[in-house]
Amino acid sequence: MSMLVSLRNITKKFGQLKAVDDVSILIEEGDFFTLLGPSGCGKTTLLRTVAGFYNPDAGDIYFGDTRINDIPAHKRGTGMVFQNYALFPHMSVFDNVAYGLRAKKLHSREITTKVKEILERIQLEEYGDRFPSQLSGGQQQRVALARALVISPQVLLMDEPLSNLDAKLRVSMREEIKRMQKELGITTIYVTHDQEEAMAVSDRIAIINLGRLEQIGNAFDIYMQPKNRFVAGFIGNSNIMKIDVNSYDDGESLLHAEIEGTKIFVKTDRPHGVRDWVYMSLRPEWIRIVGDTPEDEINVLSGTVTGVTFLGSIIRYKIRYSDKQVITIDVHDPRATEINKEGDIINFQFGVDSPVIIEE
Amino acid sequence: MRRYLTTWNIILLLIFTILFFSILYPLFFIFKASFISSETGQFSLDSYKSFFHYPYYLRCLKNSIFVSTVATIFAVAIGVPFAVLLSRFHVPGKNIIKTLGTLPLILPTFIGAEAWLMLLGRNGILFNFLHKFGVDIPSMYGWKGIVLVFTLQFFPFVFLMVSAAINSIDSSLEEAAINLGAGRLRVLFTVTLPVITPAIFSGALVVFYLSIENFGVPILIGEDFRVLSVQAYNEFISEMGGNPSMAGALSIILLVITFGLTILQKYWVERKSYAMSALRPPEVKRLKPLPTFLIWSFCAGVVFVALAPFAVVVIASVTKTQGPVMYFGQFSLENFAMAFRISPRPILNSFFLATVATVVGIVFGIAVSYLVVRKRGTVTYLLDLLIMLPLAIAGTVLGIALAATYNEGMIVLTGTWIILALAYFIRKVPFSIKTTSSLLHQIDTSIEEASINLGVPPLMSFIKIIMPIMLPGILAGAIIMWVTTLAELSSTIVLYYGPWATMTVEIFQRIGSGDFGPASAYATILIISVIVPLFILNKVSGKDLASSL
Repeated sequence: MSMLVSLRNITKKFGQLKAVDDVSILIEEGDFFTLLGPSGCGKTTLLRTVAGFYNPDAGDIYFGDTRINDIPAHKRGTGMVFQNYALFPHMSVFDNVAYGLRAKKLHSREITTKVKEILERIQLEEYGDRFPSQLSGGQQQRVALARALVISPQVLLMDEPLSNLDAKLRVSMREEIKRMQKELGITTIYVTHDQEEAMAVSDRIAIINLGRLEQIGNAFDIYMQPKNRFVAGFIGNSNIMKIDVNSYDDGESLLHAEIEGTKIFVKTDRPHGVRDWVYMSLRPEWIRIVGDTPEDEINVLSGTVTGVTFLGSIIRYKIRYSDKQVITIDVHDPRATEINKEGDIINFQFGVDSPVIIEE
Repeated sequence: MRRYLTTWNIILLLIFTILFFSILYPLFFIFKASFISSETGQFSLDSYKSFFHYPYYLRCLKNSIFVSTVATIFAVAIGVPFAVLLSRFHVPGKNIIKTLGTLPLILPTFIGAEAWLMLLGRNGILFNFLHKFGVDIPSMYGWKGIVLVFTLQFFPFVFLMVSAAINSIDSSLEEAAINLGAGRLRVLFTVTLPVITPAIFSGALVVFYLSIENFGVPILIGEDFRVLSVQAYNEFISEMGGNPSMAGALSIILLVITFGLTILQKYWVERKSYAMSALRPPEVKRLKPLPTFLIWSFCAGVVFVALAPFAVVVIASVTKTQGPVMYFGQFSLENFAMAFRISPRPILNSFFLATVATVVGIVFGIAVSYLVVRKRGTVTYLLDLLIMLPLAIAGTVLGIALAATYNEGMIVLTGTWIILALAYFIRKVPFSIKTTSSLLHQIDTSIEEASINLGVPPLMSFIKIIMPIMLPGILAGAIIMWVTTLAELSSTIVLYYGPWATMTVEIFQRIGSGDFGPASAYATILIISVIVPLFILNKVSGKDLASSL
């Protein structure tokens, strides 16, 4: 049932605009794979290309060893969950779910069994006779999922399936989706613009921006090792800082650099090219506020507090450390330290392995 | 995928073929005819020359523009306050007034003319009644009567458009003006009226258009006051001694006017409309008893004057008559007996032709709507424009064009029922397309894609999923097509032939010969056949169908 999906050099143009620009992705069997990016980045276009609603202008799509470019949408055997659910308003829940099975001309007894089974699985066994308009948003969502899953699709496609739900429901639904996907072991391509959602459900994530693939990896790798400015800024919060390079110590993989005249050291394997400056990404939670500077400590800077925001689990400081540069620092467990006020001058420090050197 | 595309391409080709033969070619045909001298058979500009040379023809143009302008001014003068008062103030019986207020626009105008003839004509009851008391009112024949009927039957268009606009003004807009220090009158003149101005213009254009293309009213009560549509008909119908070239030229001139109005409507007024969705519609004020009574009197009075004549027709239908003499007060079913027993053919003809045109129109309408809404492209954009073309052509002109084109040559249809059905179909199909496509616009594409995704081929998905959802819209479009076809006079009068006379023709001819009793019986049957389906659909779908006209 589960299927390897391979996208090879896919390009899709709308007029002059390249909605998808030379994207290649290999999705392993049974993977929960997420296409993540801001709205308009081309992720939905890519998904619809896999479903067969768009023909790519270049590139090939493979399900297993079969090239499916020329297979029409209704024969691709993908199950798709649409953003607005696209439930048939004139059909009952049962008929909605049975629709794909009837198209396959299955025996009516078999259809009834399968539909009942899946409705039970989504805990809507009592709702078969209801119509979509009589269901809550979350229930509609589950029916849409059931309708896509009941046909035992080769690949499950989900286009921002949770975006119409409220925040709490979104979290419980994504856990349910993840659980069902694992139980069925079905290869899934999931589209979202919500980075937290992507990190919560995905085995692997592809970050897409302006039609191009920016980075592929699991949530941990992408968060810890963002490749470039876009990924660093899109996944979580990050301080992107331009640093002047002095030298690179190959033996210790240590970059000797300066920020606004202060010497810093950054552990990195990444080649930084021949330029005398690079960008580094520094997560707000990897910086700590320190008291008086001990002489032997490295990577210590100082600045003026320009903003303090209490966010419950953290306090977020904005600190101006030079004429133009402001850095964000998140301090956890606000009880542990004294809360600084605007105008306070403080020192802050980060570890040599905290920053990541990134591409432009 | 490829096979699917060709299916739709074949349908597209079929649609264009039908449009070509039912409208494009006939229009081209009379256009050509207007440049061919009826004496020499050579190219000539004689018809246009004589049109602009002889005061006789020019006066028709002037008359047309004159009655249409005056009727438009009156319709706006009644329609705007009617809309504003009803939507802003508490008026007793508001819903009934609103419903009755839209009724005139679905009632055939020539029946309105008949009613006014019975009231204020030379032997009219009201005329005679007032005469007894020494009050002589000015003659209703000529432009005064035409303007009267147009105003009363067309003001609902202004009313509907203006009330739609006024109800879409969010109350915050006026509150903002008040908050900035404007008084109530200042708000009215600087905010409310300017915002609804496009709607007023839009309604006015519709009234002007309907007035200038109207045929039944001016021919019945115009007498010596000739307008373009009537003159074109006269030139064409007296074919032996008549002048097909002149009829063509008059048709083309009328076509240029109606076409220009349609373009104006589409590109100027639509662009100027301030589309808003009111989150909080303006509050409905409750005034003191006296002002409330005055407002009520105005609104109820307008509705009464507009509808009372139709009541007169209904009463006349059950009144004992002898030729033009009516014995009001003496009940009799003779007129209906005549209509149903002696000559029921016109009734059957009307129902048959309307049903044929509607059935064809539904199928055609669904196909066109789908192509225009879902298969966007240059060709379908062209189709979208082309399909609204029949709305820009006066019924008389379409009738003349079809009759002239299919009178001889390869395809001869003149004198058959097919040409009537064809005319009805092409003239009314835009209504069907409008209702279906506006519904299709609201159906998200993903519904269809979901079906395809679940393994059902595209065309089948359309039939299984989209058609059932569109059903209410299709039904609404069908009913509108059916009832407006039943009431169609202007193209029928040009195209019908002996045994295929419809109810409208029958009514028209009997009015002409002063046979008001039987005319009223047919008219009553027609009024009931128009109102009942609309009323049922209104109840079922809950939406105001008059507004889709």
